Amino acid sequence: MDLFSDQVMVSLVKELDAGALRQRVMANNIANVNTPYFKKTVVEFDSLLKKALGREPVEMITTDPRHFGGKPSLAELRPEVSLSKETTMRTDGNNVDIDEEMTNLAANSMQYQAVAKELSERYSGLSYVITGGRR
Amino acid sequence: MAGFFTSFAISASGLTAERLRLDLISNNIANMNTTGRPNDPNNPPYRRRIPLFAQILRQEEDAGVSQPLFSGAGVRVTKVLEDSNPPRLVYDPSHPDADEKGYVAYPNINVVNEMVNMITATRAYEANVTALNAAKDIALKAMEIGRG
Repeated sequence: MDLFSDQVMVSLVKELDAGALRQRVMANNIANVNTPYFKKTVVEFDSLLKKALGREPVEMITTDPRHFGGKPSLAELRPEVSLSKETTMRTDGNNVDIDEEMTNLAANSMQYQAVAKELSERYSGLSYVITGGRR
Repeated sequence: MAGFFTSFAISASGLTAERLRLDLISNNIANMNTTGRPNDPNNPPYRRRIPLFAQILRQEEDAGVSQPLFSGAGVRVTKVLEDSNPPRLVYDPSHPDADEKGYVAYPNINVVNEMVNMITATRAYEANVTALNAAKDIALKAMEIGRG
């Protein structure tokens, strides 16, 4: 029985990791808002999680990133960080959009708090079962 | 947990850099009328100072164990440059810094330029504060996990 490592728990923990990483990436973009020629980085996670949770007709687990054809396993799921080369209207070559960063910052913060709360609820559910409801 | 402290440090680097920029802008405005003698290397006028920003890339300390996902670590000021624009010459023969022809060298500082840069620096500083607060919020939330 997987009390602490079922699909939902693992997804929640991965989601928290991704949220912390996203916070770091956005803090870096914001810190470099006035750095000439700086290009922002973005985190891709949600679509990867969806892919890892998706039901394919034939499920093949990959044990190496060079394998292909199977779906990625949840345990090996990692967010992807990539440099965004999109162009900008600014003359200094910097492509940080401060409005976008601020919006994503607020969204990420709320999403993180929601996921942390959900994880907490799961633990207190387990705790309830372990103590037999007696507290 | 290390992720949060890295995030704090990144935002702090942004705060430091923007603060230094504000200091330099204040210094430029304060020295707007600091004169010098034209073409006299011993008595030059004040020159406008500009910070040079560059991003910090974290040392990949855990390379080999696992490839780090992200190597950005904020911003820093690598250099303080002096504006190379020629000084503004003003005819004022009675000034102690006047040369033989009666000209005094004033720093070539455009106050509108400085004010615009000041607003940019202030806004960027505020954005870094917002990022820091968001990091604080999620760090505190993470510590509540399992508290019931």
